[in-house]
Amino acid sequence: MILHIAKKEIKETLRSGQFKWILGITVLLSLVAIFISQEQWESKSIQREISEDKERELWLAQGSVNPHNAGHYGTYAFKPQFPLSMIDPGVEKFTGISIFLESHNKNEADNVAATDQTGLSRFGDLTPEFVLLFIVPLMIMALGHRAITGEKERGTIRIIQTQGVSNQQLIIGKWLANYIPVVLITSIIFLLASIVIHKFDWTLLATMWAVYLVYFAVINSLTIIISSLVKTSGTSLVILLSIWIVNCLVVPKLVSSYTNQEYPYPTKQELAALISEDKKEGIDGHAPWSDASKKLEEETLKAYNVNKLEELPFNFDALRMQKGEEHSAKIYAKHYDNLKAINQNQTKVYQRLAFLSPFLPTRFTSMTLAGTDYNTHWNFADQAEKHRVEMQRILNGDFAENSKLGDWGYQAEASLLEEVPEFQFKGTGYKETIYAARTNLLILSAWLLLSTGLMFFVSNRI
Amino acid sequence: MLQANNLTKEYNGIRALDGLNLNINSGDIFCLLGANGAGKSTTINLFLNFIRPSSGQALIDKVDVSTEPLKTKEVIAYIPENLNLYEELTGLENLEYFVGLSKKKYDRTTLINYLNEAGLQEAAHTQRVKAYSKGMRQKVGIAMAIAKQAKALLLDEPTSGLDPKASNEFSELLIKLSNDGVATLMATHDLFRAKETGTHIGIMKTGQLVEQFSTSEINHSDLEKLYLNHMNK
Repeated sequence: MILHIAKKEIKETLRSGQFKWILGITVLLSLVAIFISQEQWESKSIQREISEDKERELWLAQGSVNPHNAGHYGTYAFKPQFPLSMIDPGVEKFTGISIFLESHNKNEADNVAATDQTGLSRFGDLTPEFVLLFIVPLMIMALGHRAITGEKERGTIRIIQTQGVSNQQLIIGKWLANYIPVVLITSIIFLLASIVIHKFDWTLLATMWAVYLVYFAVINSLTIIISSLVKTSGTSLVILLSIWIVNCLVVPKLVSSYTNQEYPYPTKQELAALISEDKKEGIDGHAPWSDASKKLEEETLKAYNVNKLEELPFNFDALRMQKGEEHSAKIYAKHYDNLKAINQNQTKVYQRLAFLSPFLPTRFTSMTLAGTDYNTHWNFADQAEKHRVEMQRILNGDFAENSKLGDWGYQAEASLLEEVPEFQFKGTGYKETIYAARTNLLILSAWLLLSTGLMFFVSNRI
Repeated sequence: MLQANNLTKEYNGIRALDGLNLNINSGDIFCLLGANGAGKSTTINLFLNFIRPSSGQALIDKVDVSTEPLKTKEVIAYIPENLNLYEELTGLENLEYFVGLSKKKYDRTTLINYLNEAGLQEAAHTQRVKAYSKGMRQKVGIAMAIAKQAKALLLDEPTSGLDPKASNEFSELLIKLSNDGVATLMATHDLFRAKETGTHIGIMKTGQLVEQFSTSEINHSDLEKLYLNHMNK
C-alpha cells in the first residue's frame, strides 16, 4: 500500500515541470560544487606537499649549524589535508593549516585561507557540504510542501479516505515518495565525491552519507507535518521557508553569538600579555643573570658536586636553554588548555541548543567525520607543540653534550638536523571519530525520532 | 446495507441532522431530496465518517462507521459533485491508483474493461485527466466503484452540472450497479433524475426525513407537488 502510494507520487512528480527545474538546479549546483571543491582540494594538496618537501629541504640545507640557531631558524608543521575535507572543509578556512615551530615560542597556525579571500567569502563557498546542508533541505521543502495540502486543495483527499487507506499509510507513502529523490541525489553527490577523492576511508564516507540522510529524513518529516497541518500549499510553503531560515541561518547565528558571549575567547593581545607575564616568573634561556637562572646554576653545581660551571660535563648554557623551553612549554600548555576549556564549554552550549535545529548536530558531525572541526585543529596544534618541544630537546641536548660553556660558535654536525624527525600528524581512528561525534549523533537521532513521531501524531489531523 | 439509527449531528447546538432513521437494502437506489442545508450532505458525510455523529449510528453492512471506519470503507464507493482526480495522470492511471488503495490489484486489460463498462471512451483512457469533462470524470468514479466491487455507493449530487445526455448515461450506470446488488444513497436536487433512477425517495427538511416512499408509488407530477409542498411549509 505504502509503496503503491509512493510509486504514484513519484510518477506524478516526474511529470511536473516544477520537479524538473528543482532537480536540475540541485544537480547542477552539486556538480559545480564537486568540480570546484575537487580543483581547490587538488591544488591545495599539491601546494601543501611542495611546501612540506621544500621546508624539509630548507631545514636540512642549514648543514653544520649551531643547534640553538637551528632552533631559531625553525621549521613548519603542516596539518594533513583530509580526503573528506573536499566534501566538508569545515573551519579549516579560518583555522589555518601550518604552524611555525621555533625556539622559545609557540606560534598560532597560519596560512589561513579566509585572509586571502574577498569579503564575499563570508557568504560561504559553493562546496558539497553547502549543497547538502542548505540546498537539499530547500529542495525537500519545495517538492514536499504540497504533499498533503495538494490533496486537500484538489479534493482528492476525500476520495483517498474512502478507499480504506489509513492516514498513517498515506503519510508514509508521501514521506517515502519525497525522500527517494533525495536519497538518489545524496548518493550521486557522495558517489561522485568518492570517484574524485583519493585514498579515503570508506567507513567515514559511508557514515557521512548516512548522517546527511538522517538530516534529510528529519527535514522531510517536518515538511510532511506542516503539509498535514495547514490547509493551503501557499501557507505550507511560507511556513517551511521560515523553518528553513530558522534552521539553517537564524539558529546557527544566534547560538554562535550566545556561546561567544557566554564563553568568550581572550583576544590575541590579551593572550600574548598573559603568557608574557607568566614567562617572567620562570627561567628564560637567554637571561643568565635572572634569579631563576642563578637558582638553576646553584642547584646544578650542587648536583654535580663542582664549584664552577666550566667543570660541568656539559654546556650549562644549553641546559639553561632547555629549562627555559620546558618552562615556556608549561606556560603555553596552561594558557592553551584554558582556550581548549573555553572551546569545550562552547561545544557544550552548542549541544544543549541543538534541539533548536537539526542543522547544528549535522554540521558538527559532518566536520568531525571530515576532520575539519575545531577538535581536530586543537589536536593538530597539540601535536605540533609536542613536536616543537621534542625538537628543542634534541637540539639543546646536542648543544649541551658537545660544546663547552660560552661556546656559542659551536657548530653541530649536519646529521643532527636529520635526527629531528619530520612532523607527522596522527589522526584519530574510526571508533575515536564516532566517539567524538557521539553526542551530536544522539541529538540527531532524537530529532529523527521526534519528527517521525510527530508526523504520525498529526496524521490524525488530516 | 446502509442503515441510520436515530442519527443526529449538531453544530454549536444547531441540529444539521435530527434523528435520521433509514434502511437501504442491497439493490436499492435511495435518492435524498431537499433544499440546501436540509441535511443531505451531512447524511452522506456521516456514512463516510468525514464527520462524527453527535448521537445515533450509521451502519454499513451492519458495521458502525465510527468504530470501524477502515472496515466500512472497504465496501463503499463515493462520488462527490465534482470528482477530483490527478490532473497529470491518465484516467487509467487514476483508476489503477485509487483501486490499488482499496487493496485490489488488476492488470491493465481488466482496468480498461472497467473503464469501458463505465462508458468512458477508449481514446480517453490514456489521456491525462486535465483534458476530461465532468461527465468523463464521473465515469472514472463509476469505474472505481465497479473495480472496487463496492457493496454500497454514496453519491453527493453527482449529476449536478452534467448535460442531459451525460446525466442519463450516469443514471443508466447506477441502475446497472443496482441490478448487480449495489445499495446506493444519492443526494440530489434533480427530481426528474431521482424519479427515473431511484427505487426510493426521501425528502429532507431542516435535518429531518419528512417523507419516504417508493418511486413506483408516485408519478413525476405528484413528486414535484409533494416536494414543493414540503418546501413551502
